Amino acid sequence: MAKVKIATAWLDACAGCHMSVLDIDEAIIDLAKVVEFTKCPITDIKEFSAVDVGILTGAIGTAEHEKEATELRHKCKILVVLGDCACFGGVVSMRNAFSKEEVLKRVYVETESTKDGKIPSSAEIPPLLEKALPVNAVVKVDCYVPGCPPRAEAIKYALTELLQGRIPVLPGEMMLFD
Amino acid sequence: MAEKKEIKLTINGKEAKGKAGDTVLEVCRNNSIYVPTLCYLEGLSNVGACRLCVVEIEGERRLNPACTYPARDGLVVKTNTEKLEKYRRQILELMFTERNHHCFVCVASGDCDLQKLAYQYQMDHVRYPYSFPTLPTDPLNKYLVIDHNRCILCGRCVRICDEVVGNRTLDFGKRGWRTMLIADLSQSLGESTCISCGACAQACPTGAIFSKMSAYRGRTTEGKIIHSICSLCGVGCDIDVLVKDNNIVKINATNLTGLKGQLCRKGRFEQIYKEAPRITAPIITDMRGGSARTASWEEALNRASEGIRAYRSRYGTGSIAGLISSLCPNETLEAFTKLMRQTVRTSLLDTLDGDLYRTLTQGISLFSKNGQGLEIESPLESILETDFVLVVGGNPLESHPVAGCYVLRAQAQNQAGLVLIDSEQNDLGIHADRWLRPNEGDLKVALSALSQLVRNRKGVKMTPKATSSARAAPFGGLDETLLAQLGDMLAKAREPVIIYGDGVLNKKDPRLVASLLELAKLANPNGVKVVSLKPRGNSRGAWELGVANRNGMAEAKPKLVYLLLADDDGSIDSDVLQIVERAEFLIVQVSYASPLTEAADVVFPSPNWAEREGTYVSLDGKTGQSQRAVKPPQGIKDDLEIISQIAQRLRKRRLRLWPK
Repeated sequence: MAKVKIATAWLDACAGCHMSVLDIDEAIIDLAKVVEFTKCPITDIKEFSAVDVGILTGAIGTAEHEKEATELRHKCKILVVLGDCACFGGVVSMRNAFSKEEVLKRVYVETESTKDGKIPSSAEIPPLLEKALPVNAVVKVDCYVPGCPPRAEAIKYALTELLQGRIPVLPGEMMLFD
Repeated sequence: MAEKKEIKLTINGKEAKGKAGDTVLEVCRNNSIYVPTLCYLEGLSNVGACRLCVVEIEGERRLNPACTYPARDGLVVKTNTEKLEKYRRQILELMFTERNHHCFVCVASGDCDLQKLAYQYQMDHVRYPYSFPTLPTDPLNKYLVIDHNRCILCGRCVRICDEVVGNRTLDFGKRGWRTMLIADLSQSLGESTCISCGACAQACPTGAIFSKMSAYRGRTTEGKIIHSICSLCGVGCDIDVLVKDNNIVKINATNLTGLKGQLCRKGRFEQIYKEAPRITAPIITDMRGGSARTASWEEALNRASEGIRAYRSRYGTGSIAGLISSLCPNETLEAFTKLMRQTVRTSLLDTLDGDLYRTLTQGISLFSKNGQGLEIESPLESILETDFVLVVGGNPLESHPVAGCYVLRAQAQNQAGLVLIDSEQNDLGIHADRWLRPNEGDLKVALSALSQLVRNRKGVKMTPKATSSARAAPFGGLDETLLAQLGDMLAKAREPVIIYGDGVLNKKDPRLVASLLELAKLANPNGVKVVSLKPRGNSRGAWELGVANRNGMAEAKPKLVYLLLADDDGSIDSDVLQIVERAEFLIVQVSYASPLTEAADVVFPSPNWAEREGTYVSLDGKTGQSQRAVKPPQGIKDDLEIISQIAQRLRKRRLRLWPK
């Protein structure tokens, strides 16, 4: 049987959700036997290829995130979002109480440890969006695994179900928003 | 009252019985049929704000909230159809989009009703755009924070503040999607009329109102709940103490919307932490001018019992006195009494508030010809039923806040009149219809003048004695117009209740109490309705046990005083303080360091309220049991054990001195 191809990307996030995949412990060995990771933060492959499952963590915070999410959506059959930021906006959406300008000024100029700071303006840096949004505000999502970060059992459940050919909805007792 | 008519409904195809007057939700709950709710709180009025309890009712065009729909015979209801579940999930999603619900940073996460429902409805994403409003957080109250980001406008806090607390600080301001929870005229809670009772925080289904002291210290599921009673004042509220890792996380009311379910600033928040340093080991001062030092239990117990023995043999048992705080439960009071009376054999024994007890009981016996005692007083609940409250010399909102709130509730719910006679600052002042402030010494004149006015108004014939005293000093230096108004109001009242506190009792004049009772009798033909605000949590228990009968303790000038203070930090009467100060040898059993512990020859550490258990009697005579919620710090022995160890030492010695 051919291996199931998975691509992952982390958008506006802290990396915790990607780390949490490792929390499934020894199950990851069984997983490695049946799946192949194409582009993901560990393989360092730069381009998305066609995959069976795309996994996104993090919210949509910049134009680059928007682009990545759209691209993966086109390249994958099933799009899974992992974690509160991707599902609901999460921690990164807490900046939405302020305008983009206020946020940039606070971060690059006004933080107590900053001296003579200035807001970066290089064209290589993707521009910040006005609001950080959950992934489903930009592209269609097939499966949601919330949690900050999602618990190992929730990740394991979701992956197992997907490998069995079902699109899971987490049962209430497995769901956690924190 | 006649039993309400039974009605039969069909809910989800099965018969469900209810009573006329029930709502559909009440019938569902009473028949164990689950209907999700957020704005509903048993004991409060129903407003149908959250719409989660929507049900399908045959014959109705629309979905209706079960909490406001009156149940009637023959109603056919469905509570769990696919359509309903679809709408309920939709409502939840809309709630999450309306404000900023960030569970991962919220104090309520794990204890939140909104979150629990979202899990239950498998809300793993939200299909609507978020509004991301910019909303304020109000942290200015000393104990409470309002975070509008988490508010779902269910109004449980608004209703509890009105219907249970009676303070009516919280309300809604603005309209539609701009609606905000506000305090008073949209002030900060810290600058409002809020009395910080914390009922709103307990009622809040999310983390919109929370206690600073409990925030992030543990979830309900992580700890265990110890059911106990609050022993701070004589109201004796039922409390649930949430304990995690031997720390008190939170104190909640056991039955928030029921009687004595409300709690106050002191009971809910202040007794979680105390600033004063804890005494955790015995301290003794060496006899010859040495400084105080930490000692072993053995050493301290020996020092105390040797002291008692020495003074007894040198000056007789009349040189030894026992003083105990009536904050202690009955068991401690009994053990201490037994030690002093039977083992030490002194008759000098009293509670710190014994003078007030004697004033009260002597006053009652002056008034009552048939030897009545404290049972002449009314239950606290009588305040809730009355149409008129007269408060004399007491500030219940400060000393017994829940009793104070009963007054506010009587005002709000029965349109009860409220009159104060008090020369001190009084928190009920802003609520009172009239406030008479007699000068020092005029209280008695005011009471007899009022009695006379009520008599005149009701056409009661005066006794010759009363006539002559009324003639001699009709109104003293008091405002006659105001007095006349008070007399009118009191005479018109149907069932007036008189509440009095230390402003009366501290005068130590039993005749004042008698004239108050006389006034109560005149004003209320159905019987005397009075409530006295006894100063400490178990004052009534101590008084009923007969601990308080200081037989000329001040005159006896005791040389050795054993003071069991426990965690009492209330004011101590100057007469009592003098007895303590004059003692040559002072034993203090106490939880926290104070000037008293510095003056003592022997200090025994004592458990505080949460570390002991026992029986308490409320100010209106109801018995309650407190439970040990946490273990005391290492090195602290139970009060009962200290007392028994001293008794043992005293008995042993006597046997050795006088063998058979």
